[in-house]
Amino acid sequence: MSLAADAGAPVPMPRGRRRAELLMLVFALVVVLFAYAAVGLGLKGRFPPGLPVYVIVYAVLVLAAHAAIRRFAPYADPLLLPLAALLNGLGIVMLYRLQESGHNGNPGQPVALMSSTSTEFQLIYTGIGIVCMVVLLILVSEVRVLQRYTYTLGALGLVLLAIPAVLPNSLSYVNGAKIWIIIGKFSIQPGEFARLALAVFFAGYLVAKRDVLALAGRRVLGIDLPRARDLGPVLIAWAASMLILIFETDIGTSALLFGLFIAMLYIATQRTSWLLIGLGLFLFGTFITSTFVPHVAERFTVWLHPFAGSNATGIAYQPVQALEGMAFGGLFGTGLGHGQPYFTPLVQSDFIFSAFGEELGLVGVMALLLVFGLLVQRGLRAAVTVKDPFSKLLIGGLSFVLALQVFVIVGGVSGLIPLTGVTTPFLSEGGSSLVASWILIGLLIRVSDSARKPAPQPIQDEGMTQVVRAA
Amino acid sequence: MNRALLKVSLACLAMFVLLLLNVNYVQAFEANTLADKPGNVRVFDQQFSYQRGAIIADGDGNDLKIAESRLVKGTGNYQRYYPYGKVYAPVTGFDSIYGSSGIEETENSLLAGTSSQLAVHNFTALLTGKQKQGATVELTISPAAQEAAYKALETNTGGHNAGVVAINPSTGAILALAGYPTFNPNELTSLDGTTVDRNDKKLLSDPSQPLLNRATQVTLPPGSTFKIVTSSAAFSTGKVSGTTSTIPAPTVLTLPNGHLLHNDDDESCGDGNPQIIEAFYLSCDTAFGGLGMKVTAPVLRQYSSLFGMNRPLSIPIPVVPSVLPEGAGWTDQSLTAYTAIGQYNDAVTPLQEAMFAATVADHGKLMQPYLVQQVVGPGLSVIQSAKPAPMTGTGISARVAGDVQSMMYQVTHNPAGTAYATAGPQVTGGITIDGKTGTAQNGVNNTGLNDAVFTCFVPGTGGGASPIAVGVMVEGGGYGADAAAPIAVAVIKAYLAAHPS
Repeated sequence: MSLAADAGAPVPMPRGRRRAELLMLVFALVVVLFAYAAVGLGLKGRFPPGLPVYVIVYAVLVLAAHAAIRRFAPYADPLLLPLAALLNGLGIVMLYRLQESGHNGNPGQPVALMSSTSTEFQLIYTGIGIVCMVVLLILVSEVRVLQRYTYTLGALGLVLLAIPAVLPNSLSYVNGAKIWIIIGKFSIQPGEFARLALAVFFAGYLVAKRDVLALAGRRVLGIDLPRARDLGPVLIAWAASMLILIFETDIGTSALLFGLFIAMLYIATQRTSWLLIGLGLFLFGTFITSTFVPHVAERFTVWLHPFAGSNATGIAYQPVQALEGMAFGGLFGTGLGHGQPYFTPLVQSDFIFSAFGEELGLVGVMALLLVFGLLVQRGLRAAVTVKDPFSKLLIGGLSFVLALQVFVIVGGVSGLIPLTGVTTPFLSEGGSSLVASWILIGLLIRVSDSARKPAPQPIQDEGMTQVVRAA
Repeated sequence: MNRALLKVSLACLAMFVLLLLNVNYVQAFEANTLADKPGNVRVFDQQFSYQRGAIIADGDGNDLKIAESRLVKGTGNYQRYYPYGKVYAPVTGFDSIYGSSGIEETENSLLAGTSSQLAVHNFTALLTGKQKQGATVELTISPAAQEAAYKALETNTGGHNAGVVAINPSTGAILALAGYPTFNPNELTSLDGTTVDRNDKKLLSDPSQPLLNRATQVTLPPGSTFKIVTSSAAFSTGKVSGTTSTIPAPTVLTLPNGHLLHNDDDESCGDGNPQIIEAFYLSCDTAFGGLGMKVTAPVLRQYSSLFGMNRPLSIPIPVVPSVLPEGAGWTDQSLTAYTAIGQYNDAVTPLQEAMFAATVADHGKLMQPYLVQQVVGPGLSVIQSAKPAPMTGTGISARVAGDVQSMMYQVTHNPAGTAYATAGPQVTGGITIDGKTGTAQNGVNNTGLNDAVFTCFVPGTGGGASPIAVGVMVEGGGYGADAAAPIAVAVIKAYLAAHPS
């Protein structure tokens, strides 16, 4: 005993910082608790009746996640779980708020596509997401083992992506996008999971091929162009995202997938030319598509001229409601339960950010953006620190695409860029997105754990082993 | 790969910075612009949840509330209420859940409290947890004059459409602005959409057009009151040197196109070559028709502009322009003779009639008419205050105004003057009123009813400023002296009774 202690003394043990995580987690839970109480007070002037049940269930779920991290990823970044828990909790609170106020403020009628049990379901999905994350932590001890399933996951990703396109509309089409698999009362958005599977595939493929892809071809205008024969994978990824755009009328998924691929290609090869080629291809493809897919062209009109003519009451009604709602919230917001976010159609999914803008104000949404930004930063930090190139690439790409997703949806909702329907991670209603987000957190936790784990102690002297053997 | 990751991190940072800038733009910088977008349902709904500012008629210094928001019991919503119903409707307009008019519309952002001028106040209210409140709009309207005007219109016009405007000539402050028929704005204030809809449809389909503002939105031929403009132009351009200069005034004037211009009832005008002052108080059409031809149409138009015509006005409620339009052949001499007596292409609002008199009353200077005296924020701080100013591009010389005034004096003081019987000192109780009547013929071959017009003012005493000028137009009312002048007299009497000097 004393010998072992002496041997360990000169090397300071990296701290797991699990206690810090717990502390921040409790803080996140308190914020969620207060927000939930504020909704009840704001809407009806009393504490919501389900307050103890909801909060206890949610607390048990995230504390269980914390316990699992202590057991299976003790060196993980302590910020990841509290940040995710805060976002997820606030998302549930906002859904509860929308569910309670109802369509146009009539509690009797639910907001379109919401039901009187939306909050319960979101809580159940949170549970499923956390369970998936824990299972991932248990099964995948090192992210690099996923590299073995590069092509399996690639094929799975493509199949998941393609399913909605081949299904009849009745089983795949909701609100202008053919991206669902509808089974009875349940629906899943396979694209959310496809993105994760394809990220693994891209990472595996690029780690294997990055030396070849980094080879320079001709030099044009100071940029080293890749060799023409290496363009293949890029063109395939591009074609796939264009097919999604056309057959599933989903600019969001297509942009995120392509962005993911290009970012990972760039991280793998460090060639700016890939970036430019990718961006050029995407803009070209979107432009061509917009000429014959009215859905896409309309998005541009809505973005550029939301208030022109009858747009504000017609095609731009939704973004105009969102903008007016956010503007109405102003600096400090109306307070939870005091605004009218329900005027914005689909406020519970694509436009949930505008509901936060209206009720929590500029300060609230800036805080939310900082939480997202911090999450992205922790992911990128893990990517920089971890040594294994596959993990580095996978996590770097996924962190970037998380930032891109927030940029695309928040930018779309607040009128910075044309609107594309992607979910707001952790906040939007919907199980697929939530479960996929928790799996992403699982991957981040796993990689950050690998990155921060102290290197295994080398066996220091032969004699000691002999001593042990003799005993 | 870390070098590339660093660049990717910078890209992520850039995206978040852009988002942060954009939410600041939307929620802080653009917030007011977005709040003012038509059909902003949140601003719309919110306006009933706090008290909209009151509209006050402060012309008599007694702070009379003519529009206020009252809490509807048990709902937490405020409903607009107009204590005097129809009387102030042409001024306040209405504020309904579907729209607004009048001062309610033009001063909406102040009344509703959304104006950027109230931003500081709203911010402190937010911090101190006080309820948001709109600003109070204080009008120049004199309740005494306004109520007299409305009552006179209702009882004296025999159901004809009519409008009255009274102005303080030295400031441009509008003292009364009344119309008939009009509507009761309380019919449109219900918070229940179907009720508002039903009443709105009823008002819109009413053939008497009660929603039309007769004082500012209807133009009629000015008739003989336009002789104020014609004589001002003649004096100013030297076509007539003074009030005692004689001008030809035949019983019948043969126009260049062969048409005959008669005096009213074919009366002769003095000795056929009277002084202009006599032709004025007798209101001889042949004299001023002939004079107009000498002055020419472009000069008449120029002088009509100096009296405030030919431009849109906002007081701040919108006023249709009173015009002497340039059209094909408008300089034709025969037509100019009709223009000069207010019978051809010239058309004016009752407000413009008041402005004719106000210009003369204020020694040739026309002050910009206005309704809003000041706007007082919820904290009783004055956030906007009227600054009387002459209307740009208007005004005639004091000498000419003096000449016209002495002619207008004769109209009511010479026993032969057209308004002696109805606005002379014996009916005004000693108040001096200088005026001009107008009786504009209407319809094909003048078969329609004549429009009665009267414009007048009370001259300042002892070198003081004139207290009030009034314009009255009664559509199809008959003789200006009979149908219009008594209304003006009633307004003046009521106003001066409330403002003994």
